[in-house]
Amino acid sequence: MRNGSESAGTVTAPGKGVALLRSPQRMTGLAVTLVVAVVILVFPMTTTTGYLLSTGVVVLNYALVATGWNFMGGFTGYISLGHAAYFGLGCYTTAILIDRTGMNPWLALALTPIVVGLVAVPVGIAALRVRGASFVIVSIAFVLILLLVSQSWVSLTGGSTGIMVPRAFPDLNRLEHHRVFYYIFVAALALALFVWWRIDRSRFGMGLKAVREDEDKARALGVPTFWSKLVAFVWSAVFTGLAGGLYALWFGDLDPVFQFSILLGAYMVLMALLGGVRELFGPVVGAIVVGLAVEFFKAEFGDTQFHLVATGLLLAVVVLFMPEGVIPAVRGLFSRFGPQLTSIREETAEQLAARQDAAGSTSRSDA
Amino acid sequence: MSSALLLQSLILGILLGGLYALLAAGLTLYFGVMRVVMIAHSAFLILAGYLAWFFNVKTGLDPLISLVITVPLFFGIGVAVQRLLMTRLKPATLTMMSVLLTFAIALVIEGMLGFTFTGVQRRIRLDYGASSIQVLGAQVAVVKLVAFGLAALALFALWLVLKKTSFGQALRATIQHKEAAELVGVDTAKVASYGFGLGLATAAVGGTALALDATIYPSLHWHWIGPLFAIIVVGGLGSIPGAAIAAMLLGITQSLLQVPLGTTWAQTVFYIALFVTLIVRPQGFFGGRLAQRF
Repeated sequence: MRNGSESAGTVTAPGKGVALLRSPQRMTGLAVTLVVAVVILVFPMTTTTGYLLSTGVVVLNYALVATGWNFMGGFTGYISLGHAAYFGLGCYTTAILIDRTGMNPWLALALTPIVVGLVAVPVGIAALRVRGASFVIVSIAFVLILLLVSQSWVSLTGGSTGIMVPRAFPDLNRLEHHRVFYYIFVAALALALFVWWRIDRSRFGMGLKAVREDEDKARALGVPTFWSKLVAFVWSAVFTGLAGGLYALWFGDLDPVFQFSILLGAYMVLMALLGGVRELFGPVVGAIVVGLAVEFFKAEFGDTQFHLVATGLLLAVVVLFMPEGVIPAVRGLFSRFGPQLTSIREETAEQLAARQDAAGSTSRSDA
Repeated sequence: MSSALLLQSLILGILLGGLYALLAAGLTLYFGVMRVVMIAHSAFLILAGYLAWFFNVKTGLDPLISLVITVPLFFGIGVAVQRLLMTRLKPATLTMMSVLLTFAIALVIEGMLGFTFTGVQRRIRLDYGASSIQVLGAQVAVVKLVAFGLAALALFALWLVLKKTSFGQALRATIQHKEAAELVGVDTAKVASYGFGLGLATAAVGGTALALDATIYPSLHWHWIGPLFAIIVVGGLGSIPGAAIAAMLLGITQSLLQVPLGTTWAQTVFYIALFVTLIVRPQGFFGGRLAQRF
């Protein structure tokens, strides 16, 4: 039995590999990913405009928080509108550790995700006792609480005047500062994407996705739903908090209204949904689109509240017409021209065997 | 705390609780009939406040008269939002997606208010704005009494509609069990859209009452949505009496805590109540089995 399964494994493995390389969709996907990665890595070397570089850092920061959000929103389907809470916590943890205790900035940054993760455990335990609507309400409530606390606890957070973070690289000029942080953000984003990818392919990830599709059935089938959700929630808070810590070091000036902002939480949801919550790169794609749009609107319309209207309309359009996101939509568009996927139910075993025979013979005759 | 001050805070708390009760009743109504979390509720509240202010500035009449326009208008908007937007969402993901959709509506309203009226803080100037009367030995501003009276009247009207009319009976049946209501001949789609309109009409009344006494600005709705949501979770999602009782209790507690703690810290009472409820009794103190599953 053991031998049999092993030999079966060795037989199918090379075939799988060939299929993987030959599948045109996968090849295109890989090529697009590589090209985008190269563009992202090369971009800071091609420009000496501080504004462009700082926009790049802002977009990467959005990409990191949206990917962090997607650990919860994408895997389990629990939509948190208050993820800005963990971003703000990350900002303030780093800032307070550096400013009040005189800690080394990188040590403070390393401690930040741990602190945020520890805070997320009790909040998660409370919030995950309820589903759907109540969960969203709790997530919004948590960000509002932290906003109140950060504004009122003046001795710790500096209140409404905010807090200044000493610069991590005192001898770099502004341009070099942006460039260094650009690459640090890229590295953090790569780490977040790697962890997401590993979870996506693990048994644990399967359990989370089962929760997303039907929580009661998943539980009946033996998925430890509560603990799975809690772990995903904490991962999500950890990466969002890391983004906050990096942002505090990069931007250097914190204000409660901007760190604990519901709008930022809404941006995370919008970016992840726009790109596609089931996709590894969905939040990144969404962050590039939304981040650039937000920067454009702020530059173009300045202080007016017009960017709120634009954000709202975009969110409504995505929710109503494209709840699966852009990546699946584009892929669907391309796959219409490629070979059609068929459901097993649509053909009998004989038909399948006949079709495979035919395919095998044509490919052999091609060779 | 002196007893006079205590009495004063208690009365202010009851007046505040009345307004909370009306607004939370509307919010829990949407959830009851449609399992929709209406984040835009407080944005419509501020919109109604702005309309009352604008009406007052343009015509010089009492802002209460603007209710003649805003209540039917908001009822119509509510029916339209339900018919045109909410019914487009897939039933399986309705609750989550409705959160995002109504969030989008809230952003659009806030943005449009900022765009049209600018971010300047507005306040309605009333002849009786500064006057106050003695109630049981405590000084209470007349506008607060008017606002409370308005809220109490609207809440009473809501109660009458729900308990004494056949539409109210159909609405309550839809809240309790939608399929069963359909089986006995209730047109639940129609009832749900009217229920939505009714909820939004309470926002029109509440917003006008709020604008009588408070300074309004476009982003004010974020300060209201948190406490209101906390109230409906504590009361039990979908339960109107639960929402009203929780609103009264939390409003009074907030008002009493304002004296020793200050305004900002007193507001945390809503969130503390919310988290305690989730730990102790996630379905809320007055709600049924509905609340936990959605």
